[in-house]
Amino acid sequence: MTVSTEPGAEAPATAPATGVVPASRRRVHVLWLVVLLVFGLVAGGLGGYLLAQPRNPGDDSAEAGFLRDMSTHHAQAVEMSMIAHANSDNPAIVTLAGDIALTQHQQIGYMQAWLRDWGLSPTGTQPAMAWMPNSAGAVVNGLMPGMATPDQMAKLRTAKGTELDIQFLTLMRQHHLGGIHMAQELLALSKNKDVTWLAGTMVRGQQAELTVIDEMLKQLQAK
Amino acid sequence: MSTPGPERVPSTVKVDKTSGQGKPPARPAKASSSRPAAAKKAAAGGGKARKPITPVKVSGGRSWGPIAVGALVAAVALGIIGWGVFAVVGSEKEKSTPWDERARAISGVVDYRTQYPELKQAANHKSGVLTYPVSPPVGGAHNPVWQNCMGDVYTAPIPKENAVHSLEHGAVWVTYKPGLDAAQIDTLKSKVEGKDYLFMSPYTGLDKNISLQGWGFQLKVDSASDPRIDEFIKAVRQNASMEPGAACSSGSTSTGDVPATTAS
Repeated sequence: MTVSTEPGAEAPATAPATGVVPASRRRVHVLWLVVLLVFGLVAGGLGGYLLAQPRNPGDDSAEAGFLRDMSTHHAQAVEMSMIAHANSDNPAIVTLAGDIALTQHQQIGYMQAWLRDWGLSPTGTQPAMAWMPNSAGAVVNGLMPGMATPDQMAKLRTAKGTELDIQFLTLMRQHHLGGIHMAQELLALSKNKDVTWLAGTMVRGQQAELTVIDEMLKQLQAK
Repeated sequence: MSTPGPERVPSTVKVDKTSGQGKPPARPAKASSSRPAAAKKAAAGGGKARKPITPVKVSGGRSWGPIAVGALVAAVALGIIGWGVFAVVGSEKEKSTPWDERARAISGVVDYRTQYPELKQAANHKSGVLTYPVSPPVGGAHNPVWQNCMGDVYTAPIPKENAVHSLEHGAVWVTYKPGLDAAQIDTLKSKVEGKDYLFMSPYTGLDKNISLQGWGFQLKVDSASDPRIDEFIKAVRQNASMEPGAACSSGSTSTGDVPATTAS
């Protein structure tokens, strides 16, 4: 409204002075219209650009790196849990292992679905943990923090009885600590609603499970 | 539109309807809009002939107001729509190259899905030793048990019948000629260990130093430092899965040439 009154106010002022009323006035109006159109296009474009800003995270984003790495990290927790679930004689271990395996396998599904939604590959070519600042040295022999070595996995596969239960709990304890650390790093780096939601539940869920694991370890080692 | 108190009473509305619905609230709007309309007529039709009518100047200036506002609104809308289209087209571009196209674009990659259309879907389980038309095999019927493919580095040959099942789960199987020099094996190992949907083993009878296979795709190269290895892994790993979500864990970790019938 304030803009539109300006040409109106200017036009009558120039009109009586020149005497040629319609032509000059039209020129001024057309000029104003062009200025307005250009301004409008720029403002609209800028507005559209700002509106379109919450785009999906890209291939080298912290979110994509986290989803890929956490998928791999989770997959090993599923692997350890399935071994314990199949081989343990302790009903409490069988329940806990089944719970961890099902939960983390489903969470891999969430993470992979988001990468797919964003049009990104399920895996990347960057080294593991590259999305995390100061992550140099965190990856040893391709293993992210908390991950069990091939030797530890081989031992777990052949373990039996209480030895299996203790090995499983000890490995999972380390695994959870590493996973919580990664999820906390993501929370510090990202504002993505979906990814921070899942990472937040991982921190809380795994911290709660750590309490259970510590309690069970104490009981088993007291025997 | 927003009529005050008395108009909302049903009885008065009914009365209004019979005489002419909505007239009272419409009046003020009409009054304001009729002025520029009349002015337009005066400016366009009688502008030349009737000079003495002075209101022409005032109303002539006013008529540009709505036009300018309209143009501004239209331009802003156009800008927003324009950017929206640009953003959508831009993001579609990122997604526009499917993984299998990327795999085919790598020089030396053989797409066996075209040659064997049955490799465009999952295959049956079969026990015992099986024969495959491609070596190392890239798909087909396979053992019910899959080879563990959690970044496992097998130092001895593994049963191909179990390995093919892992390919169906989306894994990339890295194979190398037995006796390949240790440095090259270490390079391959660094690409595989700790990464799920990847596993490696020596393979007897390879015609090149290294062969990578995913379900329906194969790449053979001479050197572990060949950059096409990473490209192939990124394109095919997990993407080639015939059963999205199928795991690489809970598989067999045994080596040898007798197909494993139980996990781990």
